[in-house]
Amino acid sequence: MTARRKALLTLDDVGYRYPGSDRLVFEGLDFSIGAGEFVALVGGSGVGKSTVLRCVAGLIEPGVGRIDTPSRTDHGTRPSAVVFQDTRLLPWRSIRANVGYGLSGLGLSRAKRDARIDEVLELIGMAELGGRWPHEISGGQAQRVGLARALAVRPHILLMDEPFSAVDALTRTRLQDELLTIWQRLNMAVLFVTHDIAEAAYLAERVCVMRGTPARLVFDEAVPAPYPRERDDQGLNAFAQRVAAAL
Amino acid sequence: MVQRPASAHPNALPAPRRAGATRLRRVLLGLLGVAAFIALWKLAYVFNWAPRGTIPDPFVVPAALWREYSGGRLIPAIGSSLVHYVWGLGIGTLLGFGIGLLAASLRVFDDAHYMLARILRPIPPLAWVVFAIAWFQVSHAGAAFVISIGVFWVNYFATASGVRDVDPRYYELARAFGHGGFFKRITSITLPGAAPSILSGVRTGVGQAWMTLIAAELLGVPGMGQEMNSAAGVGAYDAVVVYMLAISLIYTLSDGLFALVENRALRWRP
Repeated sequence: MTARRKALLTLDDVGYRYPGSDRLVFEGLDFSIGAGEFVALVGGSGVGKSTVLRCVAGLIEPGVGRIDTPSRTDHGTRPSAVVFQDTRLLPWRSIRANVGYGLSGLGLSRAKRDARIDEVLELIGMAELGGRWPHEISGGQAQRVGLARALAVRPHILLMDEPFSAVDALTRTRLQDELLTIWQRLNMAVLFVTHDIAEAAYLAERVCVMRGTPARLVFDEAVPAPYPRERDDQGLNAFAQRVAAAL
Repeated sequence: MVQRPASAHPNALPAPRRAGATRLRRVLLGLLGVAAFIALWKLAYVFNWAPRGTIPDPFVVPAALWREYSGGRLIPAIGSSLVHYVWGLGIGTLLGFGIGLLAASLRVFDDAHYMLARILRPIPPLAWVVFAIAWFQVSHAGAAFVISIGVFWVNYFATASGVRDVDPRYYELARAFGHGGFFKRITSITLPGAAPSILSGVRTGVGQAWMTLIAAELLGVPGMGQEMNSAAGVGAYDAVVVYMLAISLIYTLSDGLFALVENRALRWRP
């Protein structure tokens, strides 16, 4: 069991209904994420996992309840950053320019912005590919760039929306391991939305499960396995089965 | 299994040689097409397929070119036409782009102007010639005004549809990374996202402007259109062809130049 850390993000009785609809997609969500904590949010299709993430990112307003996110950030950083499932790289920007997209407006000098871009490109192992266009890289590389773009703004919390679901199994495995390495190195909080139970159990310190109509949080437990983890760890598999049962 | 190398195929040539041969074949066939057209033209001249004297001998066109040039008519006419062209194209492009951008970005503006746009759009640019003469007399400004109308609509529709077609997910990305404000959204997402359509509109306008320009000048504004009209009036149809070829050359140059700009600006496309 992970020791509870000081809450960085808190959802207090949060619910959401789509505009024009009187039906709540989810309701009564109460959970928090501590600084540096890695939490996976799991649920079936249509339970509103990605909508939770959008609420946390401030992209949509929750109709009900309250979300407390880090309001103050250090110079040159953003409170949160999103990694999208569809990578969402801007095709008219080079890889470098995509990575630096969130840096303008943070008051950083050109030299500091360049240094930040170099740093994260190095971190994801794509230092040589900064001059390429998005259509010139593979799906796995595009996901890395999406991650680098988010890391470049040094967020307190990284919001990841099924980021590896569109890549092949081998690439997904590699990306998961790379993400763990980066997370352990940068010590930021992660909210990782996925429908893949094994992925959630392998990556996260804590797994939360949403289920029902409207969906509620039905499971919220720490993963009983230390890092580094083995994918075929029996304890991990047993935990994954419990998550599956909760779904 | 033994694989036969690609070059062993009887018809196979190394890729660059094959591409070179295809290009050469295309150029030769293109020249052949031009030669066939000139031959047909010559036949039409010899056998009087049109009222006598209205089809010039294609082989006197070079002499007519020299006559127009040395007579001091060709270059000033081109210069004058270019003045109309640049002003008409510039004003029409800027206004079409600006109003198209507003129409696609601001709902209230779109609602307020869509009916007016539907009323004005079907009116051909040349229908405005009457007002151009009334407001600007027979002047450069009048010709530029008529040209700018045609160019305006092309750019208006290209910009508006390009902006409307920008993937809305990019706007969500902009908000997620602190670029949700109007100005940042327009500069970082809307304009680059709509650039292919906007530039395609500008390029169409580059051609459209020439078509309207000659028609506007036929009414008496100094330029190539007026020279064509004057030459036809004295039966010098060879000179008319000279101005037609001058238009073709200038259009090809301006379109080619713009294609370079477009390719450079859109080099990110696959």
